[in-house]
Amino acid sequence: MNVNVKTAQAKAAPAVDPVTVEIVRRGLLSVTEEMKTNLMRTAYNLIIYEALDFTVGLFTKEGETLSIGLGLPMFIRGMSETVRAKIRHFGYENIHPGDILVTNDAYTTGSHLNHFTFTMPVFHDGELIGFTCCMAHWLDVGGTLGTVTTDIYSEGIQIPIVKYQRRGEINQELVDIIAMNVRLPEKALGDLRAQIVAVTTGERRYLELVNRYGWQAVHDSFRVIMDQSEALARANTLNIPDGVYEAESFMDDDGLDVGEPVPIRVRIEKRGEEMTIDLSDVSRQVRGFYNSGVTTGIACAQVAFKCLAAPTDYPVNEGSFRPLKVIMPMGTVVSAERPAPMRVWMTYPMTVIDTIFKAMAKAIPDRVAAGHHADLVFPNIHGINPADGKFYIVGIGPLGGGWGAKATEDGVSATVCINDGDTHNSPSEQLEAKFPVLVERYVLREDSGGAGRNRGGLGCEMVVQALAPFQLTTRIDRVHCKPWGLEDGGEAAGNGIGLRRDGKWETEYPNAKVFNVRLKAGDAYMMRSGGGGGFGRATERDPQLVARDVREGYVSRQVALDSYRVVIEGDGTVDAGATQALRARTDIAPTAVAVVADDTGPQLDMTPG
Amino acid sequence: MALESTTAELPRLRIAVDIGGTFTDLAAFDEAAGELRFGKALSTHDKLVNGIQNTLDGAGVAFRDAHLFLHGSTIAINTLLERTGARTALLVTEGFRDIYEIGRVNRPDAYNLFFRKHVPLVDRSSRHEVHERLLASGAVHKSLDEDHLRSVVRSLKPKGVEAVAILLLHSYRNPAHEVRVKQIVEEELPGVFVSASHELSQEYREFERVSTVAANAYIGPRVATYLGELSEHLDRHGFGGAFFVVQSTGGLFPVEHAQRDCVRMLESGPAAGVIGTQAICEGLGLTEAIAFDMGGTTAKAGVIYEGKPLTTGSALLGGYEQALPIQIPMTDIHEVGTGGGSIARLAQGNALRVGPQSAGSMPGPVCYGRGGTEPTVTDANLILGRLDPEHFLGGEMRLDLPAAERAMREKIADPLGMDLLSAADGVLRIAVTTMSYAVKAVTTERGLDVGGFTMAVYGGAGPLHASAIAREIGIRRVLIPYSPGYFSAYGMLFSDLRYDYVRSCFRRLGTVDFAELEALYAAMEGEGTAAVEGSSVRPESIVLERAADMRYVGQEHAVTVELPRELFEQGDREAIKRHFDAQHAIRYGTSAPGEPAELVSLRTTVTGVMRKPPRHTVPAGGAEPDPEALSRRKPVYFGELLDTPVYERDRLKAGNRIAGPALIEERASTTVLAPGDALEVDSAGNLLIAIGSDAR
Repeated sequence: MNVNVKTAQAKAAPAVDPVTVEIVRRGLLSVTEEMKTNLMRTAYNLIIYEALDFTVGLFTKEGETLSIGLGLPMFIRGMSETVRAKIRHFGYENIHPGDILVTNDAYTTGSHLNHFTFTMPVFHDGELIGFTCCMAHWLDVGGTLGTVTTDIYSEGIQIPIVKYQRRGEINQELVDIIAMNVRLPEKALGDLRAQIVAVTTGERRYLELVNRYGWQAVHDSFRVIMDQSEALARANTLNIPDGVYEAESFMDDDGLDVGEPVPIRVRIEKRGEEMTIDLSDVSRQVRGFYNSGVTTGIACAQVAFKCLAAPTDYPVNEGSFRPLKVIMPMGTVVSAERPAPMRVWMTYPMTVIDTIFKAMAKAIPDRVAAGHHADLVFPNIHGINPADGKFYIVGIGPLGGGWGAKATEDGVSATVCINDGDTHNSPSEQLEAKFPVLVERYVLREDSGGAGRNRGGLGCEMVVQALAPFQLTTRIDRVHCKPWGLEDGGEAAGNGIGLRRDGKWETEYPNAKVFNVRLKAGDAYMMRSGGGGGFGRATERDPQLVARDVREGYVSRQVALDSYRVVIEGDGTVDAGATQALRARTDIAPTAVAVVADDTGPQLDMTPG
Repeated sequence: MALESTTAELPRLRIAVDIGGTFTDLAAFDEAAGELRFGKALSTHDKLVNGIQNTLDGAGVAFRDAHLFLHGSTIAINTLLERTGARTALLVTEGFRDIYEIGRVNRPDAYNLFFRKHVPLVDRSSRHEVHERLLASGAVHKSLDEDHLRSVVRSLKPKGVEAVAILLLHSYRNPAHEVRVKQIVEEELPGVFVSASHELSQEYREFERVSTVAANAYIGPRVATYLGELSEHLDRHGFGGAFFVVQSTGGLFPVEHAQRDCVRMLESGPAAGVIGTQAICEGLGLTEAIAFDMGGTTAKAGVIYEGKPLTTGSALLGGYEQALPIQIPMTDIHEVGTGGGSIARLAQGNALRVGPQSAGSMPGPVCYGRGGTEPTVTDANLILGRLDPEHFLGGEMRLDLPAAERAMREKIADPLGMDLLSAADGVLRIAVTTMSYAVKAVTTERGLDVGGFTMAVYGGAGPLHASAIAREIGIRRVLIPYSPGYFSAYGMLFSDLRYDYVRSCFRRLGTVDFAELEALYAAMEGEGTAAVEGSSVRPESIVLERAADMRYVGQEHAVTVELPRELFEQGDREAIKRHFDAQHAIRYGTSAPGEPAELVSLRTTVTGVMRKPPRHTVPAGGAEPDPEALSRRKPVYFGELLDTPVYERDRLKAGNRIAGPALIEERASTTVLAPGDALEVDSAGNLLIAIGSDAR
C-alpha cells in the first residue's frame, strides 16, 4: 500500500477569513480535549483512567483527520483508516443519525484486539458533516492469557465492523456477545459506556462549533488549517539536505524463536519539499505476537515525519502528512496480514521510528535524538485477589525510561517511549490499595544513560513483590539492541527483567520475555527500562557536568573515570589537572560505552545518601 | 460580638490587601462611616511590606484603626515558579527516593523530541530514604528505624538545609510514621521548617502528594518569614486586631496557620476575586455566576454554583508539560494565556495566532512606547477606539496610536490582505474565543448551562471584552463590579474563616457502616470547629458542610457530591445514591442508576462565618445619566465605526441607564458596551449589562 499525496497548489484557497480559521482551529482542539477528559473521568480500567491508553479524534466526512487529541501517537493513521473502513463497509447511504459504529478488527485498526474503536457520525441539518471517534484499550478481550499467541484467533473476540447503536437504539445482542467473551465484563462494559460518553461529547461540541460559525465557514476553515499544516511541514522539509539516508537496527526476537534477531531497515529519500520513507526492508511478519497492521506501518513514517517537520503543530491533522510518501508493502512486521498474531503490536514500530531518526541524524543531527528505550516496559499480572476472592488482571506500567541525548542537551530520564504520548504510570499507593502487590522500589538506574558530550536520560527500575500468588507475563524487547548513541556518543543500558523466587534473584535471561510465570507470596519481579543514547564524545563533556552527575547519583565515579575520563576528588569536585592529563592520554583505547555495573539484581536495603 | 465595634474610639476598619505581580491593591471598609476606600501602589518585590504600607498611606488609612487585616499575596506562587525557595531536603519511604523525579512519566508534547519534563524542587542528592513501610491498609509492614533516621537527619545539618519535606507511603491511611519522623527532625534540626504530607493531603497518589509537601517545604521558610515580618510591622504600627491570610479556597486562616501550611495560599488573589463575585451576587439574589478576571498576561475563570464557589481537589502549577501538581482543595479556576499583552503574530502559512506569548508590562504593547514592536490585544483595542490615547490610566499615560497602527498594519493586516480595522478586530475576536474556553472549562465542560449564569468581569482588561465573551458563549447578563481594578482586595472583605478536610475512605455505599462515617466526619468537624473557635475573632456562626467523593464501583475518578447532614443521620443510602447519580449526569451527561456506587473520600468544610461589611451605596439618579457624566463622543469600531458616547463611571448614579454602543471609562479600566447591550447602574455602583438580543 503506497500512500501518496496530492500536490497542494492546484486548489483555490477557500474564501474564509483568517480570523475564523484560527477560531475554528482552537475549537477543534477543544472538542478533542473534552472528549479525552470525559473518557478518562468515566472509565473503569486503570489503563484508561490512570494510564490514559486511548486516542480520540474528529474526522471529516471522508475520514480525514481533523484533530487527534493527546493520546497514542502510533494511532494517528489507524484511527482515520478505521473511520474510512467503516464508511466503505456501510456506504454513506446506510449511516444514519444516532448510529454508532464499532470494530476491534486488528487488521483494520492496525493494532490489537484490545482497541475497541467507536465512531459516531455527526449530522447537521440532515447532512453528514464528519465523525467523532474513540479508541480505548480494553483490559481483556478474551483469548489465551499470558502466553505467546501465534494467530489472531487465540487473541480474543473479534468484532467486525458493525453497529453498536442503530438510530439511537443499542444493539443489545452485540453487547451480550461481547460480555460473554471477555473476562471482566462489568469493567469492559463500563469502559464501553465511557467511550460512548467520549464520542457523544465530541458530537455535541462539534455541532456547537458548526452552529456558532456556520457549516460553510467551518468546512472552509478545515481546508485552510490543513493547508497551513502542509505549508509548515513543507518548509521544514525543504531545509533538510537532499539525499538518501539509510539505517538499520534489530529487535531481540519474536518471543518464539528466542535469540533470533528481527531486522529493521529503513530508507529515506529527501528531495525538495518532499520526503519518501521506504519501509520495504523491515522484517517480514513474525510468528510471535509482535506484528502490527499496515496502518501502523504508515503511522511509523508519519510519526517520525511529524517529529522532524511539524512537532508542535496542532491539531494533529492530515495536512501535515501531505509532503510525505510512504512505501509500505504488505506482509512485513508492521503491515502484517491475517491471521498474524498482533497482541503486542506497539513494540516494534517504536524501534522503526527510532531507526528513522538514526538515519536522519546524518542529515540533520541537531533535529533528532539518539536512541531511546523504545518499550512500554509494562508487565501484566493476573490472579485471585484475596481481598474479594475475585479474578483480576492488571498491567503495572509503563515504567518510563531514558530518551536519547541531542546535539544541544541531555536526554530526558524516566519518560514514556514514543508510542505513548500522554500515557501515565500507575501510582504505587493506588496499585497496593487495589491489588495484592507491594512495590519495593521504583528508582532511577544509575549509569543507564549513554555517555556523551550530552548524556542520555536514565532508565528506571521497579521491584514488585507478590503478597498473594499471581502469574506474570512480560513481553519486553530491546535488551540486546541497546539504545544507540549519535556522533560517537555511547550506547545506553538496554531493557531487562529479573525474578526473585524463594529469596534468590535471577537476572540472566536470553531476552526479557517470560510468560505466565507463577510467583508465590514473597516472590518478586523486577523491571528495568533502558536509558537513552549519548550524543557526541563523552570525553568532551564538561567535567563540571560530570561531577554534578556523580554528586546526584546519575553517573558512578567509575563511569566518570572510564567513559568520561573525569577524575573526581573525595569531596565530589573535579580534579582539573588529573582530568586534563587523563583526557590527553592516547594509550587507553577511547571507550564511549557506558559501563552498567549493576547486573546482579537489586540490593533491597538501599542506604540513603 | 467581638466585631461590633463601631464607636469612634475603637478600631473600626477592616483592611484587605492583595499583592499582585505589578500592583498591590487595598480595599478598606470603614464600619463607622459605612464607606469603602481603595488604594493602589506598585508592588515592592524586594520588600513587599513597603508596598503594603504605601497602599495604606495612599488611601489614608492606618493599621491602628483596624480590627481586622486580611491578606493575599503572590509570594507563595512566585517563590515556587521563580524557584527562589529554601534549600530543601526530602525524606521518603525506602525504595522511593526517585518518585518525585520520575513523576507520572507522561510526554504530552508527544512529537517534540525536545520535550522536557518537570524539574523537582529538591535535587536527587537532597532526597533521602527512611527505613519504614506501611501497607495500603495502614498496617505497619516494616517499623520505623529511628536510629538510621537520626543519622540521616544529622547529616543534613552541615549541608545548611533550611526545610525538610516528609513523604511516607500510605500516610494518608496511617500518619503515625510521618508524625514520628517529623518529631525526630524537629528534635535534631531545631529551627528548620518541617512539613509532612499527611498534614496537607490525605489522598493517595504518592507523586502528587510528594510534590505538594515538597512545594510547601520549599516555599515555607520564605513565606513564613515574610508573614512574620508583616506581623511585626503590624505590631509596630499599633495594630491590635486579627491577621488572617486568604487561602486558595477563598477562605481565611490565621497567619500562624499560613506560616505552616504555606501552600494553601498559592492562589489567594484569584480565589478572593471569586469570593468577591459571590458576595456581590448574593446581594443581587443571584446564585449562578462566573467570575472572570483578565489582566496583562492571563485570563482566569471561576464559577459560583448554587451560591457557592466550585472547588477542586488539586491543580497543576506551571503548564501541563512541566507541571508540579498540588493536591489540596482550592477554588476551581481555569486559566488561559490571553491578556492585554498577548501578542498577535503570523505563523507558517499566514496562520493568525494570538498569544500565549505576551509582551508583559516590559516592553509591553507597542502603544506603551517602551520598545514593544509586536502588536498586542491592547494595541488592537486602541486601534478600534475602545482605549483612548489621552485617557489611559486616567490620562496619566499617553498611548502611541500611530505606532500601534503601524505595527498592526505591517505585521498582520498587510500580509493577510486585510484592512487595519478588520485585522485589529480579528485579533480581538481570536483573543475573545480563547478566553471563552476558560469560561467553558469551568461551566459547560462540567455540564453547567451558561445561559442562566451572570458573568462578573474584573481585572484591568476584563471589562473591555466582557460583552464580546458573553456573546461568544451565550451568556445574557454581565456584571462589572464597582472598582474592578481592586476586586481581589475587595473580595477579601467578604471572606470567611475556613478549614477543609479530606479523608480517604473506600467503602461500598450499599454496605457502609454509618457509625463509621459519622465518626470520621465528627473528627474532621471537631478539628475544624476547634480551629475556628481558637482563632482570635469570634465568628457569627459556624457552618459544617459535608460532601463525599463518589464513583460507580469499578470506576476510578470520583465526583464530589454535596450531601445534606440529615442523610447521614437517617442513614439514607438511596438518597445519597440519587445525589450521586444526579451529579454524575450533570458532569458527564450520563449516569447509571442501576449500578452500585462507592465512597472514595469524605470531605468536610468548616466555615466560621464572619460578619460582613454592609453594602456601600452610590448616590441615586434618574434613568438618564447626568449631562456631566458624558465625557465626549468618539468613533469606535463595532463591525463598522459608530459614533459612540464615552461616560465617566465616577459620575454615574444608581438607576442610570445606557444603551450600547457606549464606553464607560474609569481610572483602571474601560467597559465596552456593544450595540444592542443595555446597562443599568445598581445602588452599589455595579454595572449590570443585559447582552443584546443578537447574542445566542
